[in-house]
Amino acid sequence: MNRPLDAFYLPPALAGTVETTLQRFGPPPDPLEIRLPLLTPEVLAQWIEHLRTARAKHLAARPIAATIRSLDRVVERYLDPRSRQRREAIDALGRTGTFSAPMVSQALDDAFQPLARGGLSRWLAGELGSARTLDRPMPGPGGTRRRAHGPEWMLQIYAGNVPTVPVLPLFSALLLKSALVAKTAAQEPLFASLLAGAIAEVDPDLGACMAVVWWKGGQTELDRVALERAPAVLAFGGETAITSIGHAARPGAAVVLQGPKVSVGYIGAGAMRRGALQALAARAAHDVALYDQQGCLSPHAYYVERGGMVTPVAFAEALGAALDAAARRLPRREPAPAEAASVQLSRAQAALEAATGRVTRVLESERGTEWTVIAEGSARFEPGPRHRVVRVHAVKDVEEFVRAIAGSERYLEAIAVEERGARRERLETRLSALGVPRITAVGALQRPTPLGTHGGVPRLLPFVRWTTVEKGTAPRRSAAAPKPKSKSKKMMGKKAKRKPSAAAQRKPRPRPKAKSKASASKPSARGSRKGLKRSRR
Amino acid sequence: MERIDGGFLRRFVQNARNIPPYAAYCSYLGRTPETVTDWRDIPPVPASAFKSHDMSSAPLGSEAAIFETSGTSVSKPGRVRLGSTAAYEASLLRSFERHLLPDAARLPAIVFGPRWVEAPRSSLWFMVDKVVGKFAAAAVYLVRGGDPRWSEADSVLQRVESRREPTLLLGTSLFFMAYFEHLERVDRIFSLPAGSRAMDTGGAKGQRAEYEREEIESAFAHRLGIPPSHLVNEYGMAELGSQFYDDNLLAHHEGRPRLAGKQIPPWVRTRVLHPETLEEQPDGERGILVHYDLANVDIPLAIQTEDIGYRIGDRLHLEGRLLGAEVRGCSLQFEKFLAEGGA
Repeated sequence: MNRPLDAFYLPPALAGTVETTLQRFGPPPDPLEIRLPLLTPEVLAQWIEHLRTARAKHLAARPIAATIRSLDRVVERYLDPRSRQRREAIDALGRTGTFSAPMVSQALDDAFQPLARGGLSRWLAGELGSARTLDRPMPGPGGTRRRAHGPEWMLQIYAGNVPTVPVLPLFSALLLKSALVAKTAAQEPLFASLLAGAIAEVDPDLGACMAVVWWKGGQTELDRVALERAPAVLAFGGETAITSIGHAARPGAAVVLQGPKVSVGYIGAGAMRRGALQALAARAAHDVALYDQQGCLSPHAYYVERGGMVTPVAFAEALGAALDAAARRLPRREPAPAEAASVQLSRAQAALEAATGRVTRVLESERGTEWTVIAEGSARFEPGPRHRVVRVHAVKDVEEFVRAIAGSERYLEAIAVEERGARRERLETRLSALGVPRITAVGALQRPTPLGTHGGVPRLLPFVRWTTVEKGTAPRRSAAAPKPKSKSKKMMGKKAKRKPSAAAQRKPRPRPKAKSKASASKPSARGSRKGLKRSRR
Repeated sequence: MERIDGGFLRRFVQNARNIPPYAAYCSYLGRTPETVTDWRDIPPVPASAFKSHDMSSAPLGSEAAIFETSGTSVSKPGRVRLGSTAAYEASLLRSFERHLLPDAARLPAIVFGPRWVEAPRSSLWFMVDKVVGKFAAAAVYLVRGGDPRWSEADSVLQRVESRREPTLLLGTSLFFMAYFEHLERVDRIFSLPAGSRAMDTGGAKGQRAEYEREEIESAFAHRLGIPPSHLVNEYGMAELGSQFYDDNLLAHHEGRPRLAGKQIPPWVRTRVLHPETLEEQPDGERGILVHYDLANVDIPLAIQTEDIGYRIGDRLHLEGRLLGAEVRGCSLQFEKFLAEGGA
């Protein structure tokens, strides 16, 4: 066993004071020893106070460009195959037994590449209009100027199913000039701590404003201390967990809850060509194999149109072959016995359904539970047990797919679409009507752009409050204005004193337009304040 | 032994003849009554089969009992239809008596749950109903109209305590633990008379909370004065007519050290299969549990579960996930999916 790894990150000022305990983590014969802080509600409350002070000192007034510069360097380090940070992450995650080294490598590329070479600025600009709007009022819609404010601090609660889940959330806090308390997942407490450490190394001021720790979920006192103080909460987890987080959050807090979801693929008949079959199946298998189907972007089923040059069953066979190849390129982590038992049960269930006519073919890896493809003659929506179990449904058309997922749309995070030409666009239009957060290409599922949303909710906006600076021109009475006295009286129930507002109503376009735009963007931000329904599902 | 093997094979012939989807499954696998000569080759149905297929030979409408396994927003619950509960009852009464009443005591019962008529689709409350009817001197049910009656529980236990009359407690581990939380809130403990005992079911992992066995044992001892020797954990599921019990009370009664694991009833065989290869594991090696149960008459006798454990002789050791009593059947993928979630 090597030296113990810290499964937490604390600013130097706090790290010195904390008591820790050692725990074994990961599969034998090479388990990790990880060090965890001993946390009490009082200690956590003190940390929060400390971070708030640190934020006021180091982060609140710091120009955004400086933060972007530092985070850019962190991104570069994680993308550099020779960097210590990248090697450390791959080694530690590999040894926790959560994911194989090639998988972690791929995860780092998928998470950090979109942020490199100006990606961070593009992300800020995409959501906020510009990065500098975090420093001072910048031109906004309709001639206004706007300045964005992040929360004083954020509580983020991560899931452990995909190693790089914390990357965008953690960056988003720092970009919004917020301090951060991050609670990691029990299955994977390491990466967020490593990332925070890497940031602190590049930029101690940013490092002073973050704490990354793990405590046992359901430890109500610790949860309560954090949740009743946090002005902003971003949480990933199971339905029960996020529901109770939503209830415990402080009134008025900006809360975004990301519950369990899966993804699927839809392949149009036009894409079912003999020459393209292998490549298509390889891309589909890549999406399935990554993170052993643990993530919300992992496809659990492909809906394949009949009537193409190759049949849906032929696609299922090609997918099986591709998963076999993927097993070598992106080795899975050995499933726990209970997980393998679920795969075996779903295989037995598929065999039963094959015996009774619903399932057409059950294809399985030659040995063990490495991969499973279940081909069916009709559509349905039923997430599988993960660990590379995927269904291929033959469908007549997109409407059959739409009917099959009716009522379950909220469990879909993304649809990977494959089709040619104008039919593709028509498909995208039809599928976008379902309100599914993301539509992308087969093979690109696991590589979401930061410019998109998670669960249909932007990554920064829900946590932003705005100062709008208006020109403030006093309304003038126009000579040409008619006298809507009686009307205005009726509407306002007030006297003619209100005339100016009647004039304002008829002011040339820009103002009302600006108003309506502002109010259109606000609900989306406010919609995600406590009680946002969409993202909670 | 021979007799049981023969019983399994005869039951298999019956099952395959009378349950059409099971017959189709057996032919699909090429393991039919014509070809199977060793009971180990009898195809087990996945526990999930009861959700997708009518896996019963009981004519529709003639059922003596219909048990449901859990459903979700996107799946209907599984249905276990029994034309007769005779074998089921014979099995459950025998195992219960052996493990909870080895001293032939006839005690008043306190049920931490509803009457069967209030939960007619629950195999657990069916079982409790039969046990109470056969062995208990009287019974109080603490769940009525779906609501727990905590204060009634307090007064009933108070009475038991003052009358010094040993009592039998029956319920789910989670429900007992919820009651103990109530006792903690009202700052109360009882000291039930010696000879009192409890059967709890479900256990290590529930949907809301997880408890270690030691936590449950010490809560029973501290809150009710029931020592671990008189607390017996049961493992069962709607898809099985038979149940498996801890040895605590029987060992105490026989004055010997308690055996680890749960007793596999003599009319049940549990095979342990390697999770990856499905090859049969030797004693002591863990794997997927597949039960062969002669108490299953109208439904297939062989059930493949998602449970993990190992076997040593006729003792079954369960690992990790124990079935929550409310679930009492295979947990559907979707439930797990909702529970895991995130990102």
